[in-house]
Amino acid sequence: MKKEDRILALDHDTLMSIEKPARYIGGELNSINKAKSDIRLRFCMCFPDIYEIGMSHLGISILYGMMNSYDDVWCERVFSPWTDLDKVLREKNIPLFALESQDPVKDFDFLGITLQYEMCYTNVLQILDLSMIPIYQRDRGMDEKLGKYPIVIGGGPCIYNAEPIADFFDIFYIGEGETMYRALFDLYEESKEKGLTRKEFLVEAAKLRGIYVPCLYDVKYNEDNTIKSMNPIVEGIPATVKKEVVKELDDVFFPTKPIVPFIRATQDRIVLEVQRGCIRGCRFCQAGQIYKPIRTRSVDKLMEYAAELVKSTGYDEMSLSSLSTSDYPDLEELLNKLIDLCAEKKMNISLPSLRIDAFSLDVMSKVQDVRKTSLTFAPEAGSQRMRNVINKGLTKDNILSGATMAFQGGWNKVKLYFMLGLPFETDEDIKEIMYLCNDIAAAYYEAVPKEKRMGRVQVSASTSFFIPKPFTAFQWAPMNNMQQFIDKAELTKKTMLEQLNKKSISYKWHEAGTSVVEGVFARGDRRISDAIYYAYRNGCLFDAWTEEYKHDVWMDAFEKYGAGLDFYIFRERNVDEILPWDILDIGVNKSYLVREWENARNEKVTENCKDKCAGCGAFTYKCGICPR
Amino acid sequence: MATAIRIKFSRKGPVSYLGHLDVLRYFQKAIIRAGIDIRYSEGFNPHQILSFAYPLGVSMETEGDYCDIEVNSFDSIQDIVDSLNQVMNEGISVISASIVPDDKLNAMASVAMAEYNVVLNDISIVNEDIINSYLSRETIEIEKEGKKGEIKKVDIKEGILELKKNNDMLNMKLLSGSTLNIKPAQVVETLCKYENIDVNIQKIIRVEIYQSSDDDEYIPLGQF
Repeated sequence: MKKEDRILALDHDTLMSIEKPARYIGGELNSINKAKSDIRLRFCMCFPDIYEIGMSHLGISILYGMMNSYDDVWCERVFSPWTDLDKVLREKNIPLFALESQDPVKDFDFLGITLQYEMCYTNVLQILDLSMIPIYQRDRGMDEKLGKYPIVIGGGPCIYNAEPIADFFDIFYIGEGETMYRALFDLYEESKEKGLTRKEFLVEAAKLRGIYVPCLYDVKYNEDNTIKSMNPIVEGIPATVKKEVVKELDDVFFPTKPIVPFIRATQDRIVLEVQRGCIRGCRFCQAGQIYKPIRTRSVDKLMEYAAELVKSTGYDEMSLSSLSTSDYPDLEELLNKLIDLCAEKKMNISLPSLRIDAFSLDVMSKVQDVRKTSLTFAPEAGSQRMRNVINKGLTKDNILSGATMAFQGGWNKVKLYFMLGLPFETDEDIKEIMYLCNDIAAAYYEAVPKEKRMGRVQVSASTSFFIPKPFTAFQWAPMNNMQQFIDKAELTKKTMLEQLNKKSISYKWHEAGTSVVEGVFARGDRRISDAIYYAYRNGCLFDAWTEEYKHDVWMDAFEKYGAGLDFYIFRERNVDEILPWDILDIGVNKSYLVREWENARNEKVTENCKDKCAGCGAFTYKCGICPR
Repeated sequence: MATAIRIKFSRKGPVSYLGHLDVLRYFQKAIIRAGIDIRYSEGFNPHQILSFAYPLGVSMETEGDYCDIEVNSFDSIQDIVDSLNQVMNEGISVISASIVPDDKLNAMASVAMAEYNVVLNDISIVNEDIINSYLSRETIEIEKEGKKGEIKKVDIKEGILELKKNNDMLNMKLLSGSTLNIKPAQVVETLCKYENIDVNIQKIIRVEIYQSSDDDEYIPLGQF
């Protein structure tokens, strides 16, 4: 069917009564419509937040393109309806629909939900609820024939501890989506043909690599609320599920004809993924561990994609995606080539935050207006001692010399990112955040003679609150409570006001309330599911949106369900304790993380993957930077 | 030397729910995809020289809207139409294009009148008698909010150049310019009010946008 002839799921009056109706019409450039008679499997890909955010996500774009490259599969999209449409759908009993066909999500074979941040969990429940799919997995008819309800499958970084939402999902896909979907689809088509039940299919699926079916594992608890055991309840499925990785990035699908939204998405530009993984091993960082080992795309491949993307999208801006672009081995060659391409096509290039050195300053001054842009540093901690604790290999000298170079090059705005509440933090460490800011401001007045100054230097510091995450060296660490967070932010502010250059410094900190909820989700267990359900039923939705977040309801939910905040976030865990995410194997060994936890305690720095292998265990994937 | 080119386009179906700025951004990208040698403004953030005649309201379809672009070079007018249509998304297409003579105003400044077809929930209610009675009124007043929030009455009668039934739709030609700018919804609203009927709009299709010719006739915006 032609896109222009599609009948929309919402009528004219409804579309005219809601904000941004174009969020719900589909039919964008490069979106895919297929004839239902030609396909055997329908997949609905969901990002559980509004359209503009979901459409900015590269992972969805990769899987959408890859799945639609299969002749027998039609992949469509759905996003969270904003509260205005949510109300209409409930009042008029309209089932949530996919954008391409406008058909109800409940008629699909799969509903795939990407879990990019913990605060989207109530949105997941909204998607299931509005789709008229039973919210709890156990209510979807385990003994009925496959096809009654979609198989609900989750992916993305949150699944590295998916236990708090395990009751709502049939499957979690552990790792990178490019590798196993084909095998899963073949199994589904075959199982449906054979008339297998949902349970029979799930048992077979659980035997595939990277496929975790939580309902097939039984969790037992000790009296102190810690986990006693997590064991398979059926024969033939693995005791731990190993993460899937793509071995060679140049060989896998990359979307060169991505969907171009009509309305302005948060990322409204071409995105090139230059590498996956990170060599750095910062001890607070989950992404640094779960995407190991680092693998890169070649410059030739990236340039080929860039040229195709310009033609197929018409975007006038391009950006690079990776965890740490400065570590891309051929960065200079890549950036020079991209700058030439962008100049020829009259496009802008939006640079990622780069380590400040002569090269990056030169590149930045070529593509940005120096007076308008600011330099970004992410020291994460104020004192060298704390930076050693967190293994952030950035020294005060690095920062000051980088800033001085930039000031001489005409910049006068600096942004700095820090964390509060890190393990082993003292008041002195916190004060040093502002000492550093003061020194940077002083470096400006030293580097730039009075007559060349364009006003005052602007040093903007911001702090976020540290939340311990699974599969990091800090997974055993206690998290600060709200009062501690607020006290620490106040101390930072007070120290700022004591600085000589206080007029050149500004300071902002993030909300503390959501940090507590996020902390529970990050390291919670299966007993949290009921708390999420309770919060959703009591009006929590779009929790990542400050104005929608309802702190009291969440505190109430954690009071009623689960093992309590003290248990989940405020205590220090013993390294021998069975953790909810021990069911997964991400290649990185627990013994390595224990070593790193000890190194943190001893303020000992560990070298990055490029300089020296730390023996984390990811070499079992036999790819990327790892020694063979 | 840059050449100004006026592009006539249509839109129908779901894409009608795009707002004006979305349509603008859509064309900016389509022009890049089509490889048109469009002229860019000077400065650190150059932008395409592209402007629209008359913003399309959300949900409005069109069979004749216009935008002006300036190009540094081009092969032929037909080539511009074809290269755009090759990269268009379904629902929006380019109908024709023409070179804007140097002495003519840009598209936005040229708009004098627009013709619409309006789909109502029940067209049978609006019969010839009702239309005649409506058009023979001395004044047709709408209420408008002034700059200071005060309500003032505006007579739109002389802005309604034509109103008739066209198959299942209501066809109207309405003055559209800086002095009097009438919208189809205002006509339907006053029709209901004065003639005591109850109908509502299901769809509005802009049929054509006109400019005043040198001999004071209305000619389509793409004719010179």
